[in-house]
Amino acid sequence: MSTLSAASARHLLRHPAQLVLALVGLALGVATITAVDVATASASRAFELSVAAVSGPATHEIAGGPQGIDERLYARLVAAYPSLELAPVVEGYVTVRDEALQLVGLDPLAEANFLEPPSMGERATAAAPGSALADPAVGLARWLTEPGAVVLTESTADRLALPLNGRFVLQIDGRPHEAVLIGRDSGSEAGRETLLATDIAQAQEWLGLVGRLSRIEIRAPPGAAAEGEIARLAAQLPPGVELEPAQQRSQTSLEMTRAFTTDLKAMSLLALLVGLFLIYGAVSFAVLQRRKTFAVLRALGATRLDVLRIVLAEAAALGVVGALLGLAAGVGVGRGLIALVSRTLNDLYFVVAVSTVTLPKSAALEAVGAGLLTALVGALLPAWEASHVAPQLGLKRSALEARAVRLSRSLLIGSVALAIAAGAIVAASSRSLLAAFAALFLLLLSVAACTPGLLAGSARLLARSLHRASPLGRIALGSVAASLSRTGVAVAALALAVAAMIGVSVMVESFRESLDDWLGRTMSADLYVSAPGPGFDRPERRLDPRVVAALLAVRGVASANAGRAVTVSSPRGPVSLDAVTLAPRGYDAVQLTEREAQAWAAFERGAVLVAEPLAWRWRLHPGDRLTLVTASGPRSFEVAGIYRDYGGDGVLIDRGVYRRSWGDDAVSSLGLYLDPGVASGKIIPALYAAAAGRQALLIGSNAGVRALSMSIFDRTFAITRVLDWLAAGVAAIGLVGSLLAWQLERSRELGILRSLGLTPRGAAVLIEAQTAFMGLVALVAALPAGLAAAKLLVTVVNRRAFGWQIDFHLHGMQLVDALRLALLAALLAGLYPAWRTGRAPIAADIREE
Amino acid sequence: MLALSGVSRSFREGGRAHRVLDGLDLAVATAEAVAITGRSGSGKSTLLNLLSGIERPDSGRIELDGRDIGALGEPARTQFRRAHVGFVYQFFNLVPTLDVEENVRLPLELNGVRGAEARRRSAAMLQRVGLGDRLGSAVDALSGGEQQRVAIARALVHEPSFVLADEPTGNLDEATATETIALLSTLVRSRGATLVMVTHDLALAATADRILELRDGRLRPRS
Ligand SMILES: Nc1ncnc2c1ncn2[C@@H]1O[C@H](COP(=O)(O)OP(=O)(O)O)[C@@H](O)[C@H]1O
Ligand SMILES: [Mg+2]
Repeated sequence: MSTLSAASARHLLRHPAQLVLALVGLALGVATITAVDVATASASRAFELSVAAVSGPATHEIAGGPQGIDERLYARLVAAYPSLELAPVVEGYVTVRDEALQLVGLDPLAEANFLEPPSMGERATAAAPGSALADPAVGLARWLTEPGAVVLTESTADRLALPLNGRFVLQIDGRPHEAVLIGRDSGSEAGRETLLATDIAQAQEWLGLVGRLSRIEIRAPPGAAAEGEIARLAAQLPPGVELEPAQQRSQTSLEMTRAFTTDLKAMSLLALLVGLFLIYGAVSFAVLQRRKTFAVLRALGATRLDVLRIVLAEAAALGVVGALLGLAAGVGVGRGLIALVSRTLNDLYFVVAVSTVTLPKSAALEAVGAGLLTALVGALLPAWEASHVAPQLGLKRSALEARAVRLSRSLLIGSVALAIAAGAIVAASSRSLLAAFAALFLLLLSVAACTPGLLAGSARLLARSLHRASPLGRIALGSVAASLSRTGVAVAALALAVAAMIGVSVMVESFRESLDDWLGRTMSADLYVSAPGPGFDRPERRLDPRVVAALLAVRGVASANAGRAVTVSSPRGPVSLDAVTLAPRGYDAVQLTEREAQAWAAFERGAVLVAEPLAWRWRLHPGDRLTLVTASGPRSFEVAGIYRDYGGDGVLIDRGVYRRSWGDDAVSSLGLYLDPGVASGKIIPALYAAAAGRQALLIGSNAGVRALSMSIFDRTFAITRVLDWLAAGVAAIGLVGSLLAWQLERSRELGILRSLGLTPRGAAVLIEAQTAFMGLVALVAALPAGLAAAKLLVTVVNRRAFGWQIDFHLHGMQLVDALRLALLAALLAGLYPAWRTGRAPIAADIREE
Repeated sequence: MLALSGVSRSFREGGRAHRVLDGLDLAVATAEAVAITGRSGSGKSTLLNLLSGIERPDSGRIELDGRDIGALGEPARTQFRRAHVGFVYQFFNLVPTLDVEENVRLPLELNGVRGAEARRRSAAMLQRVGLGDRLGSAVDALSGGEQQRVAIARALVHEPSFVLADEPTGNLDEATATETIALLSTLVRSRGATLVMVTHDLALAATADRILELRDGRLRPRS
């Protein structure tokens, strides 16, 4: 190892607290990214496996809208295209003993089945020797004739404690159906754990799809001839029915989870951003502590580039170690997160059971790369500063301090320039997230740049005004100003940490309150009723019309919003369509961003309203047109308005229009408004009673649903807060280090004061007063920039990342937090020097540094 | 060969320019040893910083072995210093995280000498200053005199043509100071290097070939 790297390594190891904090901070940032990647990738992988298990060899599929496809189409196509293998599928989600499963209805007599019907027929027996049914022939008969006959994988059946020939109840929509397990499939093919196979007719009956198919799968043999056939088939399909490549469906489903995964991703990026400041703090203190060493190196003939390289190499080493630690931790945390993520995916999108943890190689590389890059970017400024350390070792301290004062003045100008540059970047770019982050970074740097000048100026000013009143105070302030080369950098780093903390916490709080406001407004109904089951916009989740009628007839229910949530396709990708009939009060619940009156008029005439995130992503504005595939083919809808939505990125349409265009009259959920004075707690039992015997319901009160949403939010951002405090910790520890060096230099001055009769306690108070003053200056410098950073995060970064508009919310409490942080860090930093000074012999030897 | 002509350098001080060096001339022959004295603040350290290329003059020429140092850009001046200049300071300025031998090896590595060769040379140099048995010691475990001997070894290990010493004994007791100066001048002379040494101590200055005094921004022979 070269002496230079040895010196670096030893320095870092001699300051373990600082090192550990920096590593922990960075590792946490990387771990968050990795954990999110692991959880989402594992869930996606599991989902893809389950898709492959059902329709692995299929090359294409024919799909309809929420209402599926007429099954007669299948018969027609089989006759017309003998060269293609076709398989009909009916599919939906069911719940068995609280576990979500995917019901797949298969036709064992169909000429092709891509999911081997468990041990049906000759081919299946050959393919799956661990046959689920003792005798295939008997099995086939039972499959076709026994009501409720289903087959599950052995492992799932065991988990659910379902014996062979056992009878059990499965729930669809909260409606119970009797089933019997006629086979336990012992084949261990991945992706089959969540599959519940049954006969196609049985599935149609259960899912309310009599006469309809969810899709038709096709296997085309390779070759141009088959391609021609496929093209011919596509052209002959009735309107509203489309032919797609087979991978499309899983892609589409995964695409739908985008809003959810982006949230997770955003949180992890935020964690990394805080990690950036941790590294910045740690490296700049590591530089500060070694100014002298860098000066020696420069005097010995190390070039600026050499010094720059040393510091960046240290940062890179920190980055790699931190990233690897983070990667390891992230995989661990990710395992834990999988349960949570798949739970959410089950609730909102599709059924998955994750059995293997996947960390895509690209994600691992990305995490390590992000850690490394973060470390390097964080170290850039300190490295530059190290490379510009003055090598004038023979000069007196006072000459160096004079230089520092001059530098601090030009930095003030630099600070203004940085702030202006930040503003210019934001103004010049309109959608680039990278530009927004760059502006944020410059803005925070500008705080760091203005701090030394501010410190020197205010110390001098205050010292002058204290002239008569307190000579001791004057000395204290005077030496803060006189040692700017040390105090300036320490305070700058503290200011930066405080500014970052203000920015992030104001942003999180603004987001939180905007969400709360939004929930308060959007959730105007008193009670929410839906059919239980996995998948937010699965077509089989409908409320029984008789149940709907019964609920609306309950005494105390004044009016209701009715909604039907489905996924429809559009040329630009899948769209979550929410078809609504709104009660008069329901209109207020939709928070339009502009032109409310016209928008509603247009909406009633058949136009759609688009959620803000989708509008941002697809660049939709009121007056634009959006094409959706209806039951009678693609149709262009006018975009009447944009509405706020922090939850998803859907499209609202009038239920009457939806019914006419898609031929679906079902209702997925209701929002009930109660008569004035009726307590929701009182009426819930009556609602359950009204549905009893027909359908189990999910009924949530307004307050309950809102509280749940907020608790999810708070959990999501908990890690950001932890990191925030870590950043403060690094700043405090660095501050201790640099103050210590400074106090050592001042031991002569303090020695004189002590010999003149200053008690140890007095000396301690003096030092604490100095550090408290520095903490306050850091705060003053950090306040405006922290608020500007918050504004930037709230209005620019969030908008560009998600398309959300968040209102800026500022509370005195957050500023008090920042004050507390700055003072706490500063006072803690003073504690050790104060203690030391109190104990040091009065005639301390005076040696420079 | 070292030649300065008309060298001026001033610093801003509270808005006013303070001329530290004012048309200074100096010629030092190769292998000559010159001592410079002068009051505190007279500009001695500034002069050494100009000689080593750490700072640049406002005007005038500074030639070392025929090269105009003041005219070189920053990286070139640093590379020149690395290869041709050795520095000894009052406060030793050893790197605290490196041991004795590593401190001495540092200039060799900066000059591209690595590995066993570098280690051999630094050990040999430390042998010469009488610290052959302290190679692995931490520098702050050494006495002041020993630390300064490490610094001397470090200043000479890469065989520079110019050795600059800024009050090298200012932080040592009298007996150690005498020993240290003797060691420094013997080693510098034995290598045929040119020595420019700043010192307050006239007795020590007397070991040099010539004594100059810096006053009012110029050098004049010490009377
Ligand atoms: N980089 C600098 N910035 C400002 N003033 C300086 C600088 N270097 C030297 N000085 C000033 O120049 C004068 C000479 O300093 P110096 O060369 O250190 O004197 P000496 O070494 O003779 O004591 C002093 O007044 C000092 O304050
Ligand atoms: Mg000096």
